Amino acid sequence: MTLPRWLPPLLFVLAVGAAAWRAPAPAAPEFSRAPSAAASRAPASFVAAMLPTAAPSAHAATLAELPDGRLAAAWFAGTREGAADVAVWFATLDAGVWSTPQAIATREGTAAATLAYVRKIGNPVLYAEGDRLHLWFVSVAIGGWAGSMLNHSVSGDGGRTWAPPVRLQTSPFLNISTLVRAPPLPLADGGLGLPVYHEFIAKYGEWLRLAADGRIVDKGRMALDRRALQPAVAALDERHALAILRDGGPAPGRIRSATSDDGGRQWTAASALPLPNPNASVAMLRLHGGHLLIAGNGASNRNELLLWISDDAGKNWRPAPTVESVADAEAEFSYPALLQARDGRIHLAYTWRRQGIKHAVFNEAWLDGGTP
Amino acid sequence: MSAIALYGFLAHGIIFGAFVAALPPGGRRRMLALAAIPIALATGIASFMHGIVGNPSLTLLALAVWQLTSLRKSPLAYRPALTLLAFAIPFYAMALGLGPLDPYAPGYQPLPLLAASLPLAALLWWRRLDCWLLILALDFAGYASGLFANLWDALFDPLLVLVALAVVVGQPFRRRHVA
Repeated sequence: MTLPRWLPPLLFVLAVGAAAWRAPAPAAPEFSRAPSAAASRAPASFVAAMLPTAAPSAHAATLAELPDGRLAAAWFAGTREGAADVAVWFATLDAGVWSTPQAIATREGTAAATLAYVRKIGNPVLYAEGDRLHLWFVSVAIGGWAGSMLNHSVSGDGGRTWAPPVRLQTSPFLNISTLVRAPPLPLADGGLGLPVYHEFIAKYGEWLRLAADGRIVDKGRMALDRRALQPAVAALDERHALAILRDGGPAPGRIRSATSDDGGRQWTAASALPLPNPNASVAMLRLHGGHLLIAGNGASNRNELLLWISDDAGKNWRPAPTVESVADAEAEFSYPALLQARDGRIHLAYTWRRQGIKHAVFNEAWLDGGTP
Repeated sequence: MSAIALYGFLAHGIIFGAFVAALPPGGRRRMLALAAIPIALATGIASFMHGIVGNPSLTLLALAVWQLTSLRKSPLAYRPALTLLAFAIPFYAMALGLGPLDPYAPGYQPLPLLAASLPLAALLWWRRLDCWLLILALDFAGYASGLFANLWDALFDPLLVLVALAVVVGQPFRRRHVA
């Protein structure tokens, strides 16, 4: 059968028109203005407790504050990291009591929802956006974590039920090597900027811009050398942001950094911070008062969990009280997650010896050296 | 389950059938190929391919359907296959971190790419390569439907590049066979 000569170009023009109609053309990004809050005058306080155990090995906690003020935590746990029985577990803190952890993402459930083979799942990130609670987590079909793909699910009822996860298309080569570790930042247009990272062959941070409907509308690379990963980002104003990254190079490492002055569209490598990093995940938070807070490990191992504060948008850093420190170099207190609740209290969740997740809650007075 | 997941799963079933159809000639090859599709869907082959490769491009799906339904030679001949390889290999290298530029990123806001495709389409029409013009139209229609977040993913994928590599590498053997 021979087509009329005019038909293929006509169909092509129609298809181009439809594609152009759908193609996003978002305005220049801006970070959402952080709500201002009065400094708390509460006396120094620090309380820490383990979360309920979900499985023998736990890692990579993430935190979110629900609209009703409850704190939500998610982490992955199973027989061991990478095992087939690893699931993403979820619990909420209500009136000082953690709920029984519920598995909200499993290998089998993810495979069923995406109609694709999944070998293991890992790092989750929670983010509360109005009534919607987002969950991003990584899944791997073949190989190690460098082969990760990104999945996204949403809950409309505070984490009780979740929509089936959807696999995000973030890489052209087998859709591999996009991982997530730190929460997104809200953008002024209602979208989100999600810090992610790549670790197949080279390790570098990336930035996904999501539209308000969740669709990816841009992707940028944090132009560091090939050994920085797991970015955590804090917006300094509508245009400026600081990203800190895990140093994936040989020890002794330092926390790496990148900056953006155009709402996250482009990222420029900056000097490494004068803070140690033993190739371990770090967390950063912009406190209500404007100070920056970092949680991370000491120079050589993960047997110390330390905090640092900056009063000048990341130019200088001073140590805050130590959260964990033991002599045993094999002990691990790692992968911190930070969140400041609307009441001003600061929540820290972290991997405790790989046996569970520990949650500490403190305030700015404690960070400034006050005694509980 | 999303429409995107369903597309990837079903498309891999068809692609598996097309691979069976491409096996050395045999009287029942086409019947075997059609039977391979439900087998791939039911036994987990399509799910495994979907897990490893991700969503296939519409170009690969169109070529797979062609392989299954047409008696004519596949449009992915030596020259288009070589052109694809010459484009895709550096594209993947850069997208995986070689150099500072990520060529994949413009696919999320593809208006300039769509504009750049107009002279290419004119060239295809002028050279009477209607088949490739229609495949390009299908790719763009697939992007417009929302099946792909990034335009590049509608156009090509690593499995298609692997097929192109097989076409290019196999060309001298086919020539010898014809001679």
